[in-house]
Amino acid sequence: MIYLDNSATTQVMAPVVEAMCRAMKDSFYNPSSLYAPAVEVEQALTAARERIAHSLGSRALRVLYTSGGTESNNMAIVGALPRDGRPAHLVTTAMEHPSVLACMQRLETQGHRVTYLPVDAQGQVEREALSQAVGEDTVLVSIMQVNNETGAVQDLEALGRIIHGRNPRTLFHVDGVQGYLRLPVSMPRLGVDLYSLSGHKIHGPKGVGALVMRDGVRLTPLLVGGGQQQEARPGTENVPGILGLDAAVSIFETQGEEFAFHMRGCKAAFLETLETALDGWQVNGPSPETAAPHILNLSLDGVRGEVVLHALEEEGVYVATGSACSSKKRNASHALLAHGLSPERALSSIRISFSPMTQRQDMPQAAEILAHAVQRLRRFRRK
Amino acid sequence: MKRVLLIRYGEIHLKGLNRPYFERAVLHAIEEVTRGVEGIHTYRGQGRFYLEGYPETMEPQVIQAVCKVFGVHSVSPALCLEKDLDVIAEAAAEMMRERGYVQGTFKADSRRSDKQFPLNSMQLNEELGYRLLEAIPGLSVDIHTPQWTVYCEIREEAYLYVDKIPGAGGMPSGTGGKALLLLSGGIDSPVAGWMLGKRGSAVDAIYFDSPPHTSARARQKVVDLAQIVADWTGRVRLHIVPFTQVQELLYDKGPEDMLTLLMRRAMMRIAERVARRTGCQALATGESLGQVASQTMEAIACTEDGVGMPVLRPLICFDKNDTIEVARKIGTFETSILPYEDCCTVFVPKHPLTKPQLPVVRAAEEAVYAEGGETLLEEAMKGIQVMELTRRPAFG
Repeated sequence: MIYLDNSATTQVMAPVVEAMCRAMKDSFYNPSSLYAPAVEVEQALTAARERIAHSLGSRALRVLYTSGGTESNNMAIVGALPRDGRPAHLVTTAMEHPSVLACMQRLETQGHRVTYLPVDAQGQVEREALSQAVGEDTVLVSIMQVNNETGAVQDLEALGRIIHGRNPRTLFHVDGVQGYLRLPVSMPRLGVDLYSLSGHKIHGPKGVGALVMRDGVRLTPLLVGGGQQQEARPGTENVPGILGLDAAVSIFETQGEEFAFHMRGCKAAFLETLETALDGWQVNGPSPETAAPHILNLSLDGVRGEVVLHALEEEGVYVATGSACSSKKRNASHALLAHGLSPERALSSIRISFSPMTQRQDMPQAAEILAHAVQRLRRFRRK
Repeated sequence: MKRVLLIRYGEIHLKGLNRPYFERAVLHAIEEVTRGVEGIHTYRGQGRFYLEGYPETMEPQVIQAVCKVFGVHSVSPALCLEKDLDVIAEAAAEMMRERGYVQGTFKADSRRSDKQFPLNSMQLNEELGYRLLEAIPGLSVDIHTPQWTVYCEIREEAYLYVDKIPGAGGMPSGTGGKALLLLSGGIDSPVAGWMLGKRGSAVDAIYFDSPPHTSARARQKVVDLAQIVADWTGRVRLHIVPFTQVQELLYDKGPEDMLTLLMRRAMMRIAERVARRTGCQALATGESLGQVASQTMEAIACTEDGVGMPVLRPLICFDKNDTIEVARKIGTFETSILPYEDCCTVFVPKHPLTKPQLPVVRAAEEAVYAEGGETLLEEAMKGIQVMELTRRPAFG
């Protein structure tokens, strides 16, 4: 089995499993309880918060644990609305993850105004459009750090400068689910006010994530309850999940650069074989070198991405396609269309995504399998 | 006061000497769908069944489950009472009040099979009507078109009820032969299977799987649909045929405008062999006349050509809307419209023949199968996987 769908989720690393088992066996106390062992659990959560804050550039950042990327994004966006209920303006891009886009669309039905910024073929947000979009009543701009389909990386510093130059009160939210720990981030330096991250994209567990906030940012909570996390996100903390996330973060802390180098190497090795083994394909979005280290999006002429996916599956190679195959509803990926791809090319795309656990020596074989599958399937065109 | 469910089975009455056989089948199904309800038991009355002993709070779910049994004509939640006019009349008034039937017209409809009871049916109607009028001032009697009918049956005990809830109708499952349904994952075929099941046929199903052109989810969808049909019929055995190689052979060697026809003929051939091997007496499809090119009269004739058993097409005269209506009612629609099935579009001709000529189709098929085609069909047969789907319990 060669697993190349690491943007969907990653395999949990062994130290993470161990940390979680320990948490479930030994640290089962409710962190809000008053006796000493419970306080110890609470301290462990605090230490994990500090590690996450540090990984994003400052121990002064505030870390709220959530159930994952979707909740973090929702909390940032909905929580930023004016408390008095007056209509607000928000800005995002056309290629965001559905947990941002669907949230924005719901706000539109509630009377808020949303601007969807275009991106270019490399997946770069158009800065002029951003500058024009942000105004007096803009409460939040939400832009993803790394696009989950093409790996396009934003220059957050430049975007942050534009946003805050136009309106210092506008919050800059970054969906960092695909970027966290794969690329270095310093929230204070980049001018990022809110940052979403998820455990299972970095070899941690599913069902846990965080929304990291610049000190002083105040959001309206989505949930009300028993007052945990200073009432900003009540609910008994997911202790095993958080300690698993913490273990994953600590691994990246020491090996993050090495990991990025490894993933770039895997991508290069894959492409090197593919170049000789197959004709008629293109890289979508940014060039493989400028894209995030773990993501590669290809269009394969004359085949459907989903059919290729299933053919690879038969050979034990797992990849993704952002564009599910259906003749009734041509649901080409919105993100690829936003990058300016034609629907036909979007439907012929697959996403290959690497991880630190990907075996570099498997890459030539995986590329060969892809080449072979595409050649076999190209025979079948609609007559 | 004891509550019972009175269950009527319609058409089985007609079945003469076979009647006990049909009765046993429907009783068995009723017992099966109510299994797991604490204290419930069934007993037989004249031309009906009774269910009793279930917790009162579960009555609505029990009714719902029983109404899904083929062969059940209608169900009435009833009170089982002492054969005493005062008791009956008081309970009748209470029953009307409970349901809010206090302003409008009614009639009493009694039946006395216990001739020891002092009043005959007519007298009981009059007496019951009179007492209800006394008890609930907003009621008046209308013999011809009443809003509500208060039924009272004097048998071993007195049974009193107002509601008649229609059941699934039809004939008990498994009493009408066995058909093999060509199940595709679309809207039509599960409805066709359900309709045959409703007429008493046992239904097995066959699905043609073409990975990588179709996905594991498309296949799961078919399994889910077969399961929903099994929830009605009690049991569906699903045969999954690996069809990719046949599909690709047809693509490579068949004339473009006949691809769908040749594919359907291949499916029919395999299905017939599976049917014979598993004791099915007919094939069944969801075809509807003229719906698509492969379902014109000519195309159907070409598809059926060479099949040595009946091919049943319950939907042949259904409009799509009619089919969708049934699909919604039986709970297959939401699953059928999931989008996964359509990666096969490369195998669909752009301009299919709508009036194919049988000799031409036969000749084309012969050419396709000339080298090794028969072996591919055999291979596909060998690779069949079988799944047994049985009714999911509603209780326990």
